[in-house]
Amino acid sequence: MTEQRPFPSAPVAVGLGAGVLLTLGVLVSVHGAVAHARERLNTPETNKPTVAIADQSEVAYCTPRFKEVLERVLHSCGLVSGEGGRRGCQPADVKTFASISDSDFNELFTPLKDRGAVVMYDEGKDDLDDKAKKLLEDMWFERKGARYFFVVARASKSGTVDKNRALSHRRANSVMFNLKDVSKDPEIEKTVGLLWLGNEFAQLSKEYCGWNNSRPDAKCNDDAINRSAFVSWVDCRL
Amino acid sequence: MSEARSKSPAVIALIGSLLGLVFSYNSSIDYAAHLDRRLHDVHCSFIPGAPATAEAEACRAAMYSPYSAVMRDSLWGGIPISLFAVGAFAFFAAFSIYLLLAREKASRANVMFFAAVSVTPLLVSIVMFTISITKLGTLCKTCVGTYIASALLAAGGLMALRSLRASAEDVKRPEGQPLIAVFWLIVLGVVTLLPTLVYAAAAPDQRPYLAKCGELKKPEEPSGALIKFRGARAVQAALLFEDPLCPTCKALHERLTGEGVLDRLDVTLSLFPLDNSCNWMLSDQSLHPGACLVARAIICAKGQERQMLEWAFAEQESLSAAGKMGEGALKSKISQRWGSSLAACVDSRDAKATLNKHLHFAAENNVPVSTPQVFLGKQRLCDEDTDLGLRFTLKQLAPEVLQ
Repeated sequence: MTEQRPFPSAPVAVGLGAGVLLTLGVLVSVHGAVAHARERLNTPETNKPTVAIADQSEVAYCTPRFKEVLERVLHSCGLVSGEGGRRGCQPADVKTFASISDSDFNELFTPLKDRGAVVMYDEGKDDLDDKAKKLLEDMWFERKGARYFFVVARASKSGTVDKNRALSHRRANSVMFNLKDVSKDPEIEKTVGLLWLGNEFAQLSKEYCGWNNSRPDAKCNDDAINRSAFVSWVDCRL
Repeated sequence: MSEARSKSPAVIALIGSLLGLVFSYNSSIDYAAHLDRRLHDVHCSFIPGAPATAEAEACRAAMYSPYSAVMRDSLWGGIPISLFAVGAFAFFAAFSIYLLLAREKASRANVMFFAAVSVTPLLVSIVMFTISITKLGTLCKTCVGTYIASALLAAGGLMALRSLRASAEDVKRPEGQPLIAVFWLIVLGVVTLLPTLVYAAAAPDQRPYLAKCGELKKPEEPSGALIKFRGARAVQAALLFEDPLCPTCKALHERLTGEGVLDRLDVTLSLFPLDNSCNWMLSDQSLHPGACLVARAIICAKGQERQMLEWAFAEQESLSAAGKMGEGALKSKISQRWGSSLAACVDSRDAKATLNKHLHFAAENNVPVSTPQVFLGKQRLCDEDTDLGLRFTLKQLAPEVLQ
């Protein structure tokens, strides 16, 4: 009688050996891969790719001097504190906080020629005509990445200083009221910076007649260009 | 029976087992590498041993899907299914070697056991293949490699079974103990489970890292411009930054839907198209041309924003192609599905202003310029916690979402 063995010994041994080796190899390798991952997890990544952070836009005209002046405007005219109360800046304030000459002040806004526009008014008036309203609306909705909208209202040299100071204040306000209507933005007060300069500070020269304005077909001279409010989004992080 | 014929079932089974071992091992090692919470290339090739690559979207989609792992609630990323396959294929490889060497001396009981269990990887492969086609809509090459390996192994097993009949005629094969099948089944179970136990025991504790990806600075958008949609059983407020033409956003949306999570969220959606025609934060290039227009279409679909977003995800490929062709092509696609008045609305001042407010909301919060992003309340979920670690992270930070 021949003996029947269920397992031929050599193949079983080789099979078992292979199984043990494969299993051990897998276990060591899996453990190693997980352990390496744990090690990397506990080690700060040195060449971690930098991810851009979302922010308002910052363009070339945002020079340190420009930003310094605008920042003072923001702080002194109540935008940054955002607590309500005082809104906007008048000529005396601007002279004090800007510490800047008239021409240098205007020069700062030169890069905004293509971004901004000049809203024109009738002599002695502060109400916006239809073209002015249209221009304002167009400007407002061209916000892109800008954080702040600036309004710099002026008055021409005709009339007294006090009267022009009040007139430019009303012109700034007329812009603000219109923007409130157009934007329906509950936080507009934290966005719009108002300056009214009367006829005392930073009068515009006739050269500014060439800027985008609400009366491109009307006669423009030194007086007309200062019966105005310059408006623009400012693409600077302040 | 010829020597070659008697060897071929075992040889085929061995080849299948070894191929399966390589493919499933590569998948498992890719999975393990991601435990460091970083991005890695993944293996995605029909060629066993081909190097990992960054161009592996289908394999990445499979890896991030809810079907790639088990126990995802209790272990970050869970235990990859492929790891079970690694152990099983190691067992089948060893058993095939035994059959190859023993040939007709291998007992009938052993061969029958092998034939029976050798089809199990194929059955699992059929299930995973069906899931890939019906749920993921894509096939990952490494997975396909495993399916082919499983088919080879099953073929080898069934051929071995068939050879039993042939050998009955000319060779006296030992019967063996029927109970031996139980023993081998236990060994198969142990060998299958061992790698998963080692993986789970060695996996790092991810809990300290979950809340380290920042918070919203200004959670409210004052003008109410953001889009809201509430899941049917919402229990948790969540804010999503999404781009309708971003494939990763689509994948996240599908994961949230597939896991039943979206249903439990009260979602605020901030559209964040990575397209420089409206997004100034991408000065150099548009990652997804046309995304601004599609985002405005979502804004215009008042009351149907979620449906519109999901349509954009479903049609993402064709919309992206249309976006590259120009606004006209994109508007035509939108018009076909949603009507001409909605297509006209995308150019309205209101739609543009609202989208601008969405982008300013991102800017005010200084979030990373990337999509998608998920915030639970004010807490930002790290990117890696929205893919592999999604269920674990939700279990830790908002367990009610998973109930």
